[in-house]
Amino acid sequence: MSLAILDARQWQQVVDLQSGRPTESDAPATEMVKGLLDRHPFPGDRDRGSNAWVTDTALDLIDRYAPGFAFLSYSQQYYSCRYSPLSPEERREHVAGAFAEAARFAAASGMTTVLVGTGELVPAKTPIDLENLDGLAVTSNWCAHYAGLYDLSARDYDALRHHPSLSRIVSKQDILDLFGGGPADGARLPEYMAVAATGGYFKGTSLRRLLMIPEPSTVIPVSANLGPVASLTDIRAQILSRLAAGERMALALVEGVGCAEFGVPATSCANGLDWFRYEPGDAQFLAISTGQHPIFQHNGGYRYYLDDDEHKPYPFSGYFTELPPDTIGEAYSGRSIAVGNRSMFMHVCTGCDVTCECFARNLYNQGLMAVIHRQDKME
Amino acid sequence: MECGFCERRCRLGPEGYGYCRMYRAGETGVEERFPDRWCATAVSRVETVPFYHAWPGARCLIIGTAGCNFECRYCSNAEVVKVDPAGLTDIMLELSPKALVDKARKHGCHAIVFSVNEPTVSLPSLEQVAREARAVGMPMGCLTNGYATVEATERLAKVFSFVNVSLKGLSPEFCQEFLGVPDAGPILRNIAALARKVHVEVTTPVIEGTNDHELDAMAAFLADIRRDIPWHVFRLLPEYKMQREDYPSIEAISARIEDCGRRLDYVYFHNFIGSRWVNTHCPSCGTVVIERHSLGCGGDKLDTFHCHGDLCPSCGARIALCGSHMAWNIKEATA
Repeated sequence: MSLAILDARQWQQVVDLQSGRPTESDAPATEMVKGLLDRHPFPGDRDRGSNAWVTDTALDLIDRYAPGFAFLSYSQQYYSCRYSPLSPEERREHVAGAFAEAARFAAASGMTTVLVGTGELVPAKTPIDLENLDGLAVTSNWCAHYAGLYDLSARDYDALRHHPSLSRIVSKQDILDLFGGGPADGARLPEYMAVAATGGYFKGTSLRRLLMIPEPSTVIPVSANLGPVASLTDIRAQILSRLAAGERMALALVEGVGCAEFGVPATSCANGLDWFRYEPGDAQFLAISTGQHPIFQHNGGYRYYLDDDEHKPYPFSGYFTELPPDTIGEAYSGRSIAVGNRSMFMHVCTGCDVTCECFARNLYNQGLMAVIHRQDKME
Repeated sequence: MECGFCERRCRLGPEGYGYCRMYRAGETGVEERFPDRWCATAVSRVETVPFYHAWPGARCLIIGTAGCNFECRYCSNAEVVKVDPAGLTDIMLELSPKALVDKARKHGCHAIVFSVNEPTVSLPSLEQVAREARAVGMPMGCLTNGYATVEATERLAKVFSFVNVSLKGLSPEFCQEFLGVPDAGPILRNIAALARKVHVEVTTPVIEGTNDHELDAMAAFLADIRRDIPWHVFRLLPEYKMQREDYPSIEAISARIEDCGRRLDYVYFHNFIGSRWVNTHCPSCGTVVIERHSLGCGGDKLDTFHCHGDLCPSCGARIALCGSHMAWNIKEATA
């Protein structure tokens, strides 16, 4: 049973991760993780101390658990740039701050730290309104470039094909063909997917004004200390290979940063296939963590709410009804940790033994959540 | 021309928009500046608003507009409601009343719930939406600060069949300093008026050391109206002008509300992850009749509905519910 420790500042609750129900645990691991959360309250997604929180928490956990692998995400600059009116100089400072934190982590942990940028941000220029279709357009808060389309009429299809802010309309079959899927893989794919041109974004559910959005990037940067990789799905094998050779490794995703702004020597790798490029998000995290393209399950425009019924398992894991298999933490037999400030991604996307993440949703800071997946490795 | 929607009763002129900046003086009376413009539409759970006793489990289309008639120091939606609405028109959605109801139906929603800002500032548009929703049997609910005029409150009660009123504080000093209004009198008056006509739940955001000492008096006020009004005590998140304030203590507030449970049948304490105070207990025998998860601001959700209709499965006592339990994926509204 995986345990989740919810920390609302000065108040903690231990629950069974799968059912969400309160449970008791007096295992030493639980006490260790409770203490960790207590010592490192989350300052907030856009707070300048948010990336330092990642480093501090990860180093504290390393001191107590001695893992061979650490998976980190540094996301403060991503949230700030998306929603805060920053000057170019301020933006550079935020990005430099993320690299400084990653460097501090690498120096203090002694781990070979591989950095991956999740892609450039560009100004949000053109809001795209798909609200008055006969059919249904589905977007989400954090997806700027893809909208799922359902029950389109001939009038809708004609209007969309000539829409000046869309780069393409692709069918479910197009997506299956591109990623090599069979008919059974299409259950969660939209009937059609609208793809916004660069700078365009779908008016969606967000209350806040978007200021910058993912480019999205054809390639993303990987620090040169990993060696060349052709695609983001190749990163996992390289990391596992170095771990198998006994090297202590860390993989740190630096969000919202592309090749142009990457703060360390880097190579570049493909960030998708053909027309499809990952935005920073759970699908991109999973592609890196599993070495597979996950878009049959996790794609922009999926009607996630259909699964969100009573008794949905993993109530604290967003729309996920199961934890994705074959993540990098699962594949590594040694001890592993994950710490990040990108929502629930650490426990969902990494598969590490102990994960620690902010419990912030839509930038509202509720506190922290830690998950203990593998108590057996602590005995 | 005086605006009659909220108790501020602003003077409106051709260039004067009033406090909420959502109305102006037109040729025939007070007019909306941005009719049929919506700043958010999202699918969510009715428990998220929160409503714990109205259509439990319902899938809702959450909507909101812009502007507000309050100046809450802790506003969690300040980026929408504290800016000039005219500056948001490029990103607001323009949807006719029928298109909005159609959108709710296409998403398989059972209800439409207004919950981002204050419905009083967009009342004519909401009346149009209500006409369309009523035609297809779709109920509407809202979250409101309750600072409407008597006349506007009457109109709100015709639009919404379930209403959650924020009772933020009682003392004039609190109202002036934290809300920007003279006193809570109109809110108390309107809670009582609404409770006579529609389903009412009440939410109180608690700021430790500021309004927590008023909790018992609030519970007494609500109990005088009806002891089965569900009351949501919210742990305030430090937002907006209170961003640097401490988070209220969960232990201290839970101790304070324990006594309130003797006055009211349904007292909840949430707005933080993992709250233990979100289940409904039968007021007669204490059995847990509805179980929920608290996801904090990410939204609360129904876990298990144990009632038989609106009856306790253990002792058969009636549980105060508006509407029936809705299975999440039943697409047709059944109101």
